[in-house]
Amino acid sequence: MRSPFIFLFLLLAFGAGLGARAETPREIIAKAMVTEDAEEQVKLIDSLIGRSGDDVRGLLLAWKEGSVYIYEQKKGEGDSAVTVKIPVTLDEKQDAEGRQLARGVIDGQPLKNEKGEPLLLSSGDLTQADTDSNLRTAMKSVLDLAALSAPDALTRRNAVSKLGMGQDPTHLAPLQLRLKEETDSSVKAAIREAVDLIALKNDDAKVQIDAARDLAAIGSIPSQDFLQQLLKDSASNPPVAAAAKASLASIATHTKWVNFYGTIFRGASLGSVLLVVAIGLAICFGLMGVINMAHGELIAVGAYSTYIVQNIFGAGLALSPFGHSIWIPGVNAGGYAYECYFLVALPVSFMVAAGVGIVLERFVIRFLYRRPLESLLATWGVSLVLQQLLRLVFGANNVQVYSPKWLSGNWTVFDVILGWNRVFVIGFAVLIVVAIWLLLTRTPLGLLIRAVMQNRTMAACMGVRTERVNLLTFGLGSGLAGLAGAFLSQIGNVGPSMGQDYIVNAFMTVVVGGVGSLAGTVVSAVGIGVADQSLQQILLNPVMGKILVLVAIILFLQWRPAGLFVTKSRGLES
Amino acid sequence: MLAIALLLIVVFPALNALHVSIHIYGDHRLEVDDFTLNLWAKYLCYAILAISVDLLWGYTGLLSLGQALFFALGGYMLGMHLMLMIGKLGQYKSDLPDFMVFLGHTFLPWFWRPFRSFAFAAAMVFLLPGLLSLIFGWLAFRSRIKGVYFSILTQALTYAGSLMFFRNDLVMGGNNGFTDFKFLLGANLRSAGTQRGLYVCTALLLVGVYVGCRWLTFTRFGLIQRAIRDSENRVLFSGYPVARYKLFVFVLCGIIASLGGALYVPQVGIINPSEMTTDKSLEAVVWCAVGGRGTLVGPVVGAIFVNALKSWATRAYPDLWLIILGLLFIVVVVLMPGGLVGLPGQINQFLRSRSRRSDSDSPIASDSPAPASDAVSEEDSGSAELSALKGKPLAPDRV
Repeated sequence: MRSPFIFLFLLLAFGAGLGARAETPREIIAKAMVTEDAEEQVKLIDSLIGRSGDDVRGLLLAWKEGSVYIYEQKKGEGDSAVTVKIPVTLDEKQDAEGRQLARGVIDGQPLKNEKGEPLLLSSGDLTQADTDSNLRTAMKSVLDLAALSAPDALTRRNAVSKLGMGQDPTHLAPLQLRLKEETDSSVKAAIREAVDLIALKNDDAKVQIDAARDLAAIGSIPSQDFLQQLLKDSASNPPVAAAAKASLASIATHTKWVNFYGTIFRGASLGSVLLVVAIGLAICFGLMGVINMAHGELIAVGAYSTYIVQNIFGAGLALSPFGHSIWIPGVNAGGYAYECYFLVALPVSFMVAAGVGIVLERFVIRFLYRRPLESLLATWGVSLVLQQLLRLVFGANNVQVYSPKWLSGNWTVFDVILGWNRVFVIGFAVLIVVAIWLLLTRTPLGLLIRAVMQNRTMAACMGVRTERVNLLTFGLGSGLAGLAGAFLSQIGNVGPSMGQDYIVNAFMTVVVGGVGSLAGTVVSAVGIGVADQSLQQILLNPVMGKILVLVAIILFLQWRPAGLFVTKSRGLES
Repeated sequence: MLAIALLLIVVFPALNALHVSIHIYGDHRLEVDDFTLNLWAKYLCYAILAISVDLLWGYTGLLSLGQALFFALGGYMLGMHLMLMIGKLGQYKSDLPDFMVFLGHTFLPWFWRPFRSFAFAAAMVFLLPGLLSLIFGWLAFRSRIKGVYFSILTQALTYAGSLMFFRNDLVMGGNNGFTDFKFLLGANLRSAGTQRGLYVCTALLLVGVYVGCRWLTFTRFGLIQRAIRDSENRVLFSGYPVARYKLFVFVLCGIIASLGGALYVPQVGIINPSEMTTDKSLEAVVWCAVGGRGTLVGPVVGAIFVNALKSWATRAYPDLWLIILGLLFIVVVVLMPGGLVGLPGQINQFLRSRSRRSDSDSPIASDSPAPASDAVSEEDSGSAELSALKGKPLAPDRV
């Protein structure tokens, strides 16, 4: 009768096998959460290294942040009651009494009470599961390696970079393992860099030299510090030192090119901002002889219109000018609709600023054509009034204008960082220039504008209604200022005196470009922008750069007093 | 005019020194206490600045937005001397000025050392702004930059100057500037007697500048100056070196402004780069415009009037002061080109034109008045062309 024994043995083995099956990561974590012994906790967490699964990351992160609670559930009755500690997480949604649905860490399912209903608990009644520093260090290694298999490419890339900079040789194997499975090219490049960085700490000189050469070939800018360290450490080892030095030199050249293109880009971006700001001014001044010191305030008006539109799309806005309270209701649009607020804000800014400009023209500037100095002074008075009004209505502090998602973020080309909002501004500046050019050369209004600019009285004799043309042109110039304000709200601060920062540069652009010349304004805006950024790079000092640009402009005007592109006329007076 | 000068120079300080206090009614007394005297000293310094603006704008046709720069530079020159005179009485009890100790300097920079002597500081009050205006003016006038371009360039110059002075590494006090002055030529700056003395100096300087400028406008130089304002091209064609005349006036006005600034600083007790901004320059232009440009009394009147208004408004309606100032500016520029001083003339002309219109219908009247005020520049409104066709067909051009 051996078979029953064999059967029992097999049963036992089976049972033992069942009992000894590997615990799921959740179970291990749950056990670690309730264990009192710190060393035991660390051992349990360490055993998770290499285990992947998103719940591992999520749970560990929640634990670190303090979002895991210990719920003590009584099981049984009377003397044989046993208190069982169950780690739970709480769902976000709160019921009327502030209680939340509790989910057990072990299985992620809602906990049930004796009656089988889902358990609602409030966080105040529970104790937090806490961590100590050893535990957190252990969790860190698990998390770093677990991040290697995160679904999001950006997370993977960041994890790889972090591991590379740690220069820990034990991470080499997981990285190379990951390389085989990786599909995303940017992550693969990051793994290559990380592997090289770790190899720099290798004892074998040949490995170090190869790694240094490979880093130079990639052109990896972050590796410069590590190469410097290698150079210092390998003073006794000439071939390694030579390789490190060569790589550093090569990366330095690469950095120089990156800076060069970066400066050009930033110069173009600054130039496009200046262009957008100055083009309205150039139109008003060139075509009508009116210097508008209130141009900066029209920019601020455009920026504030964007702010209001943003708040209308959002939660509404409370204003209190002169002691009265005004509430502007918001539609509380969410997600994609909210992000579109900027597209609505652009025409709104244009319209509002154009409206303010037209009012300004009707009541103040109409009396001051052909008197440029007086128009300068009167518009400065207007700028004071507008600034103070903005201060009284919106408050003296800056207000917050958020960039829509499709304008945030960067586009990195060969290590040159191109911000999306700046690319957009450049593109839009080009669009505006083309639009203005088309307006001036292909539309009837443009013909009238050019006629009035060239000879006002003759145009009036030919039947052109010069007042109407003045009005529309001034409105156009002011509207462009409003558009500039909408863009500047994405790039800089929005406050009552934001216009003052741009006004001096805008004037310089108009003066250098030559009055009445659109091409001149474009060239001078881009030129000043690039010059400003390059001087900042060379001098490493933004203020000295600005001052030098101003001095350079004064000297430039020695050579060409009327600007770059002069509108030639036979008359002696300008 | 003599009466006003006497009032300013003699009567005010006398009233202050003698602590005269005449009861008028209720709580109001007629007295000149230290605070009022100090306030008037400030007004007079501003009046000097306004005269410098007017000499350029009303008489030569050059709107300079950089006079505040020269005003502040003069203030800084004297301020450097005053800072060194504090000696060991400062916060840090050291020979170095407080802000230098604060920034970590251990010795006086080379360009500070000569300022221990008052004579040097006084000379620099003339020299530094003079040199700066000379160089800038030469560059500007040589290339025939005029009109609005010139104004914008002076604005840029002021902006650059304020940017530089806001920096700490220029060792000029940074954005805090100089303050806490104690001694000037041995006299304690806090004492009423010293302040009275400074007030008298300011008043004397104002009268001196006024008399000097008035004399200048009666010379041939003054004639050419006004000719440049009215039609620069004709003056050029007549053979005059216009750039030199303009340069001279520009430097002169820079020095006048700088003197005003130098006297401003010991009386107000502080100088910082915010005195050097375009806003301050434009305020000086407002005083000039409100008072009446093209006259010499106008800027003085304007400076005192606008600053008194500011003192009142910033106490009564602080939120609205900038709006008041802006509206004042707009109204004066658009409606009152002659300013306050020219207001009686303007009213007179208005009444006369109304009475003439009721007399006869003919537009060619017997003696149609030319716009007599010498404040009219060639930048008058376009209606001037049409009125030229309408009113006086054969009248010779007024120079």
